[in-house]
Amino acid sequence: MLIYTLVGAGLALLLGLANSSMRRLMIAGSVGLIITFFTLPFGQVSGFLSRETVRPTLFGFLPIYPLFSLILVAALLSLAISLRGRRIGGTASLTAGLTTLILALSWAERPTSLASLLPLYGLMEAVTGIAATAIIVGISWGIPRARLPGLLIGIALGTTIFFGLTSNSGQAIFPKTPGYYKLLTSTPSGTETSIIESYNSGLEELNRQRRSIGLNLLEPITTITGLEGQRIPREAAEAGFRLVEPNRTAYGTTVTFLLIGLMVGGGLMAIWRPRLQDRADLSTGTLLAIIICTLTPAFAATNFSFNRLVEGWPFLLDFLDRAWPPNVGALQEVASQMLITIEIALVGTFLAAVFAVPLSFLASRNLTFGNPLMRAVFGLTRGFFNLDRGIDTLILALVFVAAVGLGPFAGVLAMAIHSIADLGKVYSESIENVDRGPIEALEAVGASGTNVVRWAILPQVGPLFIAWTLYRFEINFRVSIVLGLVGAGGIGFFIQEKMGTGTYNQMIVAILAIILVVNIIDFASSWLRGRLV
Amino acid sequence: MLSFVIEVNNLSKTFPDGTEALKNVTVTIPDGDFVAIIGLSGAGKSTFLRCLNRLVEPTQGEIRAHGTDVISLRGRALQRYRRTIGFIFQQFNLVTRLSVIENVLSGRLGYHATWRGVLGLYTERDVELARHYIDRVGLNEKEQTRVDQLSGGQQQRVAIARAMTQEPQLILADEPMASLDPRLSDVILGLLKDYNEEHGVTVLVNIHVLELAKRYAKRILAFNKGELVFDGPVEALSDTLEGEIYTGSLEAL
Ligand SMILES: Nc1ncnc2c1ncn2[C@@H]1O[C@H](COP(=O)(O)OP(=O)(O)O)[C@@H](O)[C@H]1O
Ligand SMILES: [Mg+2]
Repeated sequence: MLIYTLVGAGLALLLGLANSSMRRLMIAGSVGLIITFFTLPFGQVSGFLSRETVRPTLFGFLPIYPLFSLILVAALLSLAISLRGRRIGGTASLTAGLTTLILALSWAERPTSLASLLPLYGLMEAVTGIAATAIIVGISWGIPRARLPGLLIGIALGTTIFFGLTSNSGQAIFPKTPGYYKLLTSTPSGTETSIIESYNSGLEELNRQRRSIGLNLLEPITTITGLEGQRIPREAAEAGFRLVEPNRTAYGTTVTFLLIGLMVGGGLMAIWRPRLQDRADLSTGTLLAIIICTLTPAFAATNFSFNRLVEGWPFLLDFLDRAWPPNVGALQEVASQMLITIEIALVGTFLAAVFAVPLSFLASRNLTFGNPLMRAVFGLTRGFFNLDRGIDTLILALVFVAAVGLGPFAGVLAMAIHSIADLGKVYSESIENVDRGPIEALEAVGASGTNVVRWAILPQVGPLFIAWTLYRFEINFRVSIVLGLVGAGGIGFFIQEKMGTGTYNQMIVAILAIILVVNIIDFASSWLRGRLV
Repeated sequence: MLSFVIEVNNLSKTFPDGTEALKNVTVTIPDGDFVAIIGLSGAGKSTFLRCLNRLVEPTQGEIRAHGTDVISLRGRALQRYRRTIGFIFQQFNLVTRLSVIENVLSGRLGYHATWRGVLGLYTERDVELARHYIDRVGLNEKEQTRVDQLSGGQQQRVAIARAMTQEPQLILADEPMASLDPRLSDVILGLLKDYNEEHGVTVLVNIHVLELAKRYAKRILAFNKGELVFDGPVEALSDTLEGEIYTGSLEAL
């Protein structure tokens, strides 16, 4: 964890040498620490089942480790004083950073212990309600006329959600959700001994079974520390007890150590060069803090790990080693599979265009206003487009593979259906942007509606339609490669097959072919589009 | 040719946003006149012309063109009425990606069944007419040229040829020279004037340059804030009246 502090401090040092504001970093550190204190998980405490694991915040740990309150005090003081900048601000930031560091390290040294969960009723309910209100108000605020109704609806919705969640049926479900705010409190005296006893008493029976299947035997434990790395008994977990192992961290711990680095590094730099400050430090610092506090959970959620990348490196080298030299014998097969991939893209795009052209006229606001029936058709078509655009080709393909079986047909169907909406939308936008003059002129000539479309609109949008269709074909060719992976055939399927059998020297031929063809198609298509428009 | 008298009675137009563009306009235009409509920008000149072929729906009043009640026309009947009126726009309103002849031929669309029009199946006579009027406006060399290759003055001449190819009984021109080099004004107005004299077809032109109006028109209509404030021969337009029309300080006569 200390590495993150070094990263933060190093960053501060570099930025300081580049004459960037240090006060900004100090503010980011303090604000980030305050956010982290209440919202980011600082550790993991386990129960019997893995889903009983709870990740409390620093605030959540406060009842069993009251010294954490000093972190909050330090962060608040540091924020207040570092706003004034200069050496005094730097000193405050440095002191707060070091205080937090000492507390965080001392926490990790604590022995394993037992604690009981205390859900904070009402807090998450209120937060959810306020969030709902804020979303509605935020959306409606842009339109002046919708402000008041938006505010009223937002408040109504927020209150409904709050009372719904705090009602009896809401309370039966909501506090069991993972994100529900929980504090940890110390257990009543005697709990530990009774858990130790219940663990030891069941041990004899357990060991008999373990011996029968050849596992090593478990020792009886004398203190709760003996449970480290294990689970606590089911009854205890159900009664709301959790095992607190301070060396188990969560992403909030990472954020905390990073922020400590910013505060310490920024503070030191500010003491050394006190004039590094800007006017907008408070807002940019807060923004920085928010970015740090949202980006880190995102990295944590994607299991981002440099270690695994380093560990995986030899496999990558092995892959390349076995892939080279490419097996030229696969060329024939690759060419014919590539052809299938191109054909899927061609047919899918063509079918989509055939259906999208008429639909796009129905989805154009300028052609459907006036007549209430046409307006309804407009709404339906647009609704279909938006729904369809939301469903990715790949997902449609999985459905169609299940319906019509493996093979290019499923891919073509999926591609066509998804592309209808995509093309329909851009087509109808082109129609909405046509010059109204020629339309008016042909109306004035006495031409019928169909002829107005034919002679005033089509000549204007025709080249745009073709350009969009070509562009869609470029995209669909790439989609078509991926479709092969879910069984739609073509080059993607070939790659998957060769991957499965480990014949990498054939697979690399396909990859090189893809690179070549993608570039040829993109080049040809953009050249054509350039000539059209 | 049938006489094409236009009778306008109490015509008013209020736009949905509340703008009163025309207020109780009553006027009769005899067949074969060359009429200039003058007035400040925003006086209602364009709205008046557009009401005459129903590009704008009047809110109140009556329009009769050689006896027909124009305001009640719907669908096919409205198309039949419109094909007898050539409308020339300030911005030409051509389909710039199409050739000169395609644009001019589109003036014949009102005369054919929709399917023929969609397929572009014009008759030989249509093509003859189109060629004739392209010639007439001096663009015979440009027949197959795409309109976006032409200058503004040439484009407006294409639009005039399109209107003439309709074989109209009335020509409405909404400031046809306003987007062009002033030196081209005489070309445009000359074409309209000749057509008026040769075919006896009524021409109504919005002109904001009074001097041109006086030179070409027999008769002047003046609008001010939606009201028709002058209707008479050019000679009756006194200097003081002119001044008042162009300062907008005029009350209805
Ligand atoms: N589509 C419209 N919607 C609302 N107001 C309009 C519209 N068209 C014209 N107007 C208004 O009607 C008045 C008359 O306009 P117009 O007939 O174009 O005048 P002119 O051609 O004499 O300059 C103006 O005040 C103009 O702003
Ligand atoms: Mg006008």
